[in-house]
Amino acid sequence: MFRLLLEGMGNTLLIFFVTLIASLPVGLGVSFCRMSKKPIIRWVTKIYISIMRGTPLMLQLLVVRYGPYLLFGIRCTDAYDIYAVLIAFIVNYAAYFAEIYRSGIESVPVGQYEAAQILGFGKVQTFFTVILPQVIKRVLPSITNETITLVKDTSLAFAIGLVEMFTRAKQIASKETSMLPYLFAGILYYIFNYAVAFGMEKAEKAFGYYEIK
Amino acid sequence: MKKSIIRVISLALLLGLTVIGAASCAQTADFIVGFDADFPPYGYIDDNGEYTGFDIELAKEVAMRNGWSIELKAIDWDTKDFQLESGSINCIWNGFTMTGREDDYTWSAAYVDNSQVIVTSSASGISSISDLAGKTLAVQSDSSAESVMTDGENPEMLALTASLKELKRYPEYNTAFIALESGAVDAIAMDIGVAKYQIASRTGFIMLDEILATEQYGIGFLAGNTELRDAVSKTLKELMDDGTFDRLAERFGIDGAIKW
Repeated sequence: MFRLLLEGMGNTLLIFFVTLIASLPVGLGVSFCRMSKKPIIRWVTKIYISIMRGTPLMLQLLVVRYGPYLLFGIRCTDAYDIYAVLIAFIVNYAAYFAEIYRSGIESVPVGQYEAAQILGFGKVQTFFTVILPQVIKRVLPSITNETITLVKDTSLAFAIGLVEMFTRAKQIASKETSMLPYLFAGILYYIFNYAVAFGMEKAEKAFGYYEIK
Repeated sequence: MKKSIIRVISLALLLGLTVIGAASCAQTADFIVGFDADFPPYGYIDDNGEYTGFDIELAKEVAMRNGWSIELKAIDWDTKDFQLESGSINCIWNGFTMTGREDDYTWSAAYVDNSQVIVTSSASGISSISDLAGKTLAVQSDSSAESVMTDGENPEMLALTASLKELKRYPEYNTAFIALESGAVDAIAMDIGVAKYQIASRTGFIMLDEILATEQYGIGFLAGNTELRDAVSKTLKELMDDGTFDRLAERFGIDGAIKW
């Protein structure tokens, strides 16, 4: 039974890593758009973030998966399922990450920019060498929160028919007519999240270099 | 700087979407069967992680005899129409009740005579359908048991449903049984084949002799897809004639539950 659950873990891990790796940088781009000086970009981004945060991820999954058919009559076979899951997760998580980045970027005092300017730093150099390192250390705890939520959200993928670990647990439970597989699934999720939290704690320590001890 | 980042990201996104779109609108297998993997003995997962069950084995046999590659796709039962219409599955083959849904799909010939029955705990004191008055009854969401109970054209069933304390819907039968065991519901209405599987693998449950409704199982295809329907029906007929069908029914313990 444990082996079957671990097999289902494959899709869970795939959704988790691809979403995380893609939505972290995409979220940074979105946060720039959100803080853009051009009102139109700022507003479009605001509306996007508002929709992503204001509607359930499960609904977004259904829209991405069946939207092409319902709107344009394009029939996609189930090869599209995994892509639909990844697109929906990335687009959703990028919105959350964007707001986290924004909170971090806006919390950096304006004096940091002024000091960098006086030292002759360009805009790009200022952002990547002065601002971003401070932002990362400030937003890490919030990122950890989202990342842990992401691990558990992977179970929503079955709404469009992608079998991941939780669905596998449900199937085994039905076959065995017992609730035990759910317990094992819970343990696996816990171990996974413990590893995530442990890794993030290490990262926080690594970025803690200018903390006053 | 910001602009160039945005440009690169949106270009990459567009490119990715195009590739995905091109790659994923091609059919992955000749025959994609959609089913509920929480529905033993008709469709479930075996100890090796393979999907099996009476309907699944039938589908595999049909595909093999036609030389088709088959893909077994476990689906969320609530989304079966979406999946069929959008082309992610080619048929619904999973103890799928035709009765009451005749016009919604293109159907194969009926291949199983099914009954809807009531399962309750042996200690509940419920011994006939009329005892259900004032009790809570569970059904699987979107199942034929649910449509039997809520059939607007059947005054007898409507009266029964009205006499209940509540009709509760659960995503699959395993959860419904936990609800029954813990006392959250008093009885469950379900297909007889599934009821027999559940009662055999649990203790303390009984099935009422009285039957709620009789109905038939068929294979549901997208409305209008007669070509695939005809090919599948033809092979299914062969399976019935050469005894494969009866052997499978016996293997999955539904030969007694099914009368044909």
